Order: sequence, then structure tokens, then C-alpha cells
Amino acid sequence: MPRWIRDNSLGLCFGLLFLGTLVGQALVGHADFNHSQMQHHDDPISLGRYIFSSDFGSDVMENWQSEYLQFTLFILATVWLLQRGSPESKQLDNPGRESDKEQKVGEHAGARSPKWARVNDWRTRVYENSLLIVMASIWLASWGVQSVTGHVAYNAEQFDHQQAAVSWVGYLGTADFWNRTLQNWQSEFLAVGSMAVLSIYLRQRGSPESKPVGSAHDATGVEG
Amino acid sequence: MRRATPALLLVLALAGCGQSDDRATVRAVTERFFNAYEANQGAVACATMATETRKQLESEESRPCPEAIGSIELSGGAISHVSVQLTSAKVDLADGESLFLSQEQPGWRITALGCRPTESPTDTPLDCELEA
Repeated sequence: MPRWIRDNSLGLCFGLLFLGTLVGQALVGHADFNHSQMQHHDDPISLGRYIFSSDFGSDVMENWQSEYLQFTLFILATVWLLQRGSPESKQLDNPGRESDKEQKVGEHAGARSPKWARVNDWRTRVYENSLLIVMASIWLASWGVQSVTGHVAYNAEQFDHQQAAVSWVGYLGTADFWNRTLQNWQSEFLAVGSMAVLSIYLRQRGSPESKPVGSAHDATGVEG
Repeated sequence: MRRATPALLLVLALAGCGQSDDRATVRAVTERFFNAYEANQGAVACATMATETRKQLESEESRPCPEAIGSIELSGGAISHVSVQLTSAKVDLADGESLFLSQEQPGWRITALGCRPTESPTDTPLDCELEA
């Protein structure tokens, strides 16, 4: 195996899993959509049209937005919130944004520190929050696209039942929009919360997401 | 990103063209129906209707669709708005009446005719003279 593949195998593996499952979702979603069309004596649509349809867009975006919300909140919450015994938590005596020395910012930056960590002006303020800014931006963008695609899919359903279309703002107040949103949010919060708590007592040898197998249950902020 | 932006714009433009074509087709089918309806060309009018809607009319009137279509009271009038949502469409006429269309095997076909809003237009179906 080439060295660069080994050194980037985590990103490559999940990138390929993402593409494979997205293609799978497109294929089965298309089959499911056309099954519904046939039930209503409507015309089946092509795979290409389905992929650019609001139906597929809504199904994809409602999951994307919830995943990025999960990581946005987790990045933000773990700055201040603690969990005794969890490798997902910082050490109990160190909540908050930490000192410049601990964060290697400005005069405490090393020779190999990123430039924007060294300059100690507005660029450092942006860079020290860049992970949160980008994750939150992707969350809000995908949630916005979900609202647009969901609006079109909702109105198509309205027309099928001889009902009037609703405006985009009106759609934001519908049970459909919030059902699609909250059903994804609750599962993400459950997954993050259970990961933080289960990793207090359970171990996975070799994984940095777990404490070392022999660590005490109350050892906090220790990664394997 | 610089490569992705023109590709994204192309996709959006193509999607927009598809919507525009569908709106034009929906408008043309509606006009064909009303022209035939007003000229008493029942067979032409029925050809623009969905199979299930034709069956419903024939069941209600106990006559073939081309003979029965004239018994439906429609106000007609100019098209004021066409809305296409994927494979479903709604056409509003100037006098407040609406039609619904759906994309069937041969193309866009009328599924409901002579529809008017009830007291709560968003939450309840429109009241239609004919629907499948």
C-alpha cells in the first residue's frame, strides 16, 4: 500500500463510503419514487431527473444539516462543558477557551504553527474559530437548502391532493418541515450523548476515541 | 471550487430550463382543453385529461367522456398563474378557478377541473367539479 494512502486512509475510507452510499441512496430513492408514481398512475421519471429533483435533494439535505449541526454543537459545547471520565471531555480543571500559551497563539506560536496562528490580529481571531465557523456555515447552508427542496416536495404533495401551494415562509411553519428536521436532530444528539457517556466505562483497544483499556473510569480527557 | 462553480451554475440553469419547459407544456395542455371544451370538441378535451379522471367522469355521468364533458360547468377564462412542482402542477385562472395536472405516461394530463378554494384553502383540498 502506498504511504500516502496509509497516511490518509481514514479520510479516503469515509470519502469512498460517502460516495458509495450516496449513489446507493440515489438508486433506491429513484426506485421508491417511481413505485409511488405508478401507484398514483403517474409517469416514472428518469434517474437523472430524480437526482436533480427536490425529493432527492430534501432527503439528502435533511441528513447533512443534522450531521453538521451535531459537530458544530459538539465543537462548541466541549469548550466549556465537561464529562467526568469521558475521553470526549477536556480535563476537569481546564474548561473554557484556554490561554494563548496553551493554544500556541501569537508569541507562543512555534516555527511550524500556521501563519494565522502567529500573526495575532483579526486573522488569528478568525483562525482560532475556523472549524466552528465552517461547520456552522455548512449546517446553515444545508438546512436552508433542505427548506427549499422540502418546500417544492411539500407543494407537489399538496397539488396531488388538490390543495393550494404554501409559500416558503409558510412551509417553515409546517409540521412537515419540523418533523423532517427534529427526527434527524434527536438521533444525532442521542449518538453524541451516548458516545460521551458510554466511553466512560467501555473501551476499544487502539482507538483514539476510547481511553486506553486499563485507564480508570474516572480518568477524564485521556485518549488511547 | 473554481471548477465546481460553473458546473453548479450549469446544473441550476438546466434545472431551470426543465421547469420552464414543463410550465409551457402545462399551459399548452390547459389551453388545448379549454379551446376544445368551448368548441364542443369532446374527444380533444378528453385527450388532455388523466385516465382516472376520465373514468370518474364516465362513472358519474354514465356516458363516454367526449359526450359527458360538456355537462361539467366550467367558467374558463385566461390563465393567471402556472405552478409546477416536480410531477404535479396547478393552473390558476383569472376568475379564481383552478385545475390540477399530473405527469402521466403520455405527458401532462388534467387530474382535476373546476376547483375553487374552500374556507381554509391551505389545509383542505379545493372543491372541484371533477377529480379522480
